[in-house]
Amino acid sequence: MESIYGEHLPELLELQESLMGRIGLLRRKIIAKDGVDPVEHCLTRIKTEESMRAKCRSRGLPETADSALYKIYDAVGLRIVCTFLDDVYMIRDYLRGFDDLKIENEKDYIRNVKPNGYRSLHLILRAKNGFYAEIQLRTISMDTWAALEHQLKYKRDVSGNEELIVSELKRCADELASTDVSMQTIRNLIRGEI
Amino acid sequence: MKLLLAEDTIDLNRAVSTVLRHENYIVDSAYDGEEALEFIKKDSYDCIILDIMMPKRDGLEVLREIRDRHILTPVMLLTAKTEVDDKVNGLDAGADDYLAKPFAIKELLARIRSLTRRGSDYSGRELLFANVSLSAENFAMTAENSVRLSIKEFELMQLLMMNADRELSTGYILEHVWKNEENAQDDTVWLYISYLKAKLRAVGTNVSIDGSRGGNFRLTAAK
Repeated sequence: MESIYGEHLPELLELQESLMGRIGLLRRKIIAKDGVDPVEHCLTRIKTEESMRAKCRSRGLPETADSALYKIYDAVGLRIVCTFLDDVYMIRDYLRGFDDLKIENEKDYIRNVKPNGYRSLHLILRAKNGFYAEIQLRTISMDTWAALEHQLKYKRDVSGNEELIVSELKRCADELASTDVSMQTIRNLIRGEI
Repeated sequence: MKLLLAEDTIDLNRAVSTVLRHENYIVDSAYDGEEALEFIKKDSYDCIILDIMMPKRDGLEVLREIRDRHILTPVMLLTAKTEVDDKVNGLDAGADDYLAKPFAIKELLARIRSLTRRGSDYSGRELLFANVSLSAENFAMTAENSVRLSIKEFELMQLLMMNADRELSTGYILEHVWKNEENAQDDTVWLYISYLKAKLRAVGTNVSIDGSRGGNFRLTAAK
């Protein structure tokens, strides 16, 4: 069976590498300048065949390369987890500055929190060659929370009162968000910015 | 609401208990200090009424034991002893109020209402200013989004909201929020004000706090 990505897998890998490289460059620059790494970790993946085909189906799209490459935008995915809140926006601004990358869509779930408590900054980037990538930017706290919430969503037989779990997850999200802001404030204080 | 009445004069105890029950209070009656303590160990009350002169353990001993156990329930002392020193000793031992016998039942009822008012009326309150709400129940500060505040952040925000658009000095804040704790200084207030400023932005409001380190602060809504 042909790949859902047609013959374009090499180009997707190239885009992935290019983006990772740019993030790596930024990190090294900041480490050299400030002695700290703004990124805690950076993960990347090419969406699996199975996953992409399933997404095509759920969107009512034909399982073709056209759908996978030009109608669905997360064939190439990057998740950048930052130590501090301001670094999330700093990296977004950095990515905005490239001529050969266009930010087609930005969803700020930090300024507009999802009802369940989910917080992250999502970017859809389009490279000059027309291929897309989805970038998720978040803090360590947001990542911790998302990992736990993911288990709730995808585990079939979660025991316990679901409504209670949902409201408690929201509470945790709001407490973690508060801590993120406090840590950022402390950093501003240390840097003499307030 | 649940009350404990500890009074060794049987007729008085019965009469007062009856009136209290008529006023829809649930009443446990004790006839001596030891019995009072048994009740206190087993249950929690909204208000405790103690006669000072009781057999086995007197009212002041019971009161000291209650406070030693960190039980914060409001306590009213009843007694025929009305010397100033007795009142001073009773209040300093941890009583919240002191009523001399004979007393008018109307007065006892009003004083009980007063002692139990803070528990219910003021705690469930939600404060509002512009599009920000602050919940005393869960310390959530909400506008477009919501965050949970720490205890000190909540108390500071509550103070600012209750004095919205008015200036509060750093000294006033230290007195009311930090109760003049040894380690709290101007910098502490400034840091917590900074936390709140950032969290106000995070929840999506244009309410902000004017003022700089060591000076006066004012909660204000940008026009």
